[in-house]
Amino acid sequence: MVRRTGQPEEREFLSRVIRESGQNLLECLQCGKCSGGCPITSEEVGGPRRMIAEILAGMKQEALEDPTWWYCVSCGTCATRCPVEINVYKVATVLCEMAEKEKVAASEPGIHRFEALFLKSVRNNGRVRELQTAMAYNIRSWKPLKDAGKGMMLMIKGAISPMNMLPTGGKEDAMVSRIFNRVEQEKDGE
Amino acid sequence: MKVGYYPGCSLEVTGSAYNHSTQKVCEALDVELQEIPGWSCCGSSPALKMDGLLSTALAAHNLALGEKANLKDVLIPCPFCYRRLLSSQDEIKADGNLKTKVEGIIEAGLSGDLKVLNLLEFLHRVGLNRIKANVVNPLIGLKVLPYYGCYLLKPAGVTHFDDPENPTSMDKVLESLGAKVLDWDFKAECCGSGLSLSKTEKVVELSGRLIREAVWRGADAIVVVCQLCHANLDMRQKEASKMYGSKYRIPIVYLTQLMGVAYGFSNEALGLNHHLVSPQRVLKKVR
Repeated sequence: MVRRTGQPEEREFLSRVIRESGQNLLECLQCGKCSGGCPITSEEVGGPRRMIAEILAGMKQEALEDPTWWYCVSCGTCATRCPVEINVYKVATVLCEMAEKEKVAASEPGIHRFEALFLKSVRNNGRVRELQTAMAYNIRSWKPLKDAGKGMMLMIKGAISPMNMLPTGGKEDAMVSRIFNRVEQEKDGE
Repeated sequence: MKVGYYPGCSLEVTGSAYNHSTQKVCEALDVELQEIPGWSCCGSSPALKMDGLLSTALAAHNLALGEKANLKDVLIPCPFCYRRLLSSQDEIKADGNLKTKVEGIIEAGLSGDLKVLNLLEFLHRVGLNRIKANVVNPLIGLKVLPYYGCYLLKPAGVTHFDDPENPTSMDKVLESLGAKVLDWDFKAECCGSGLSLSKTEKVVELSGRLIREAVWRGADAIVVVCQLCHANLDMRQKEASKMYGSKYRIPIVYLTQLMGVAYGFSNEALGLNHHLVSPQRVLKKVR
């Protein structure tokens, strides 16, 4: 871990994360209760304690490329156990927004692809079309037949209808599209 | 009793058994569900991850639709939708600037008075006595493990519901149906959630831990209150068996399905024939 050198840009990154997430990372004790209970922390994924350490140390590039916030499922376990009540999924949102704005390539392109396809479906239909999104994801990941057997079985059992997989049949929700457009404008205006 | 209803996108498709069984149970409990007219997606985990403002606005849009329909409270069976709407309401209440911005985006004002209820909270509001009074077919002899998942409970600072480490609200409902409730340490451990497709191996590992423990405890079924927990636990048993070197086949059922069984509804009416691991054999114990 690199020590902070006190450069203004280090400070700027830290204060921006604190301001936009509403989480006072300066209170972090580095106790590790977050990573200890975190379901996605592993040998490959550093976990919340390390991610916060990167932010505190002003290691912007490392923090924006940290797979932890891509993996984060916002289960809220860390926030529940943290002695100073830092909510890591709120920090994840800020890092994701920042990475997108600064065009940092997604360190977890698979997760990014899924989430982008999901939002695209919501934007086009008002409600997410789950099966269509899953199929689009598998096709774009070059695994078109992943889980096809399970899907077939669920269809035979009547749990899901083949109608839900068709690319047609969606209906635009004008209000939802407007919400997406306005949020985009807000961001461009910043 | 009348209550608003926000099923959410999943309950229309992959979680339809949860949707139908919830409606059946409410019918039996004499609760009229009033669906929020024209509801849309809450943004779910992708909006929460990728765009904070979009996430708050999409949830707020649905809160506004509920308020416009003059609803006082709204039942949200999907734990993610529940937490997202609840949290959005809190965020807006706490920040006047955000409120103005969001109201502009969604073209509606928000009073913030709509009471957002998760399924367990709602059932306790109906009351254990009433839940018990409707039982015609007690679940005696059925050994179940209640699995709460994450979003209903955590973070405690958002949900303020039950004990996030050792919840008991579902245990009590199951006991009132006559089932034998087993104890375990995985009540609120994560199943892998929205990583189902993008990081399947992680979901197999996490859901597999739960499955392994439940089998070891000798449970007849794991009881869930979330369609995503259901999908992960029901769909990944083959892979989990491979990972943990065993052969797992344990039924995963919704709490509302078991309530429906206790209230005398057929397996088909409750969607119990829709799961990959069929619960129909273990349910013969109580039929």
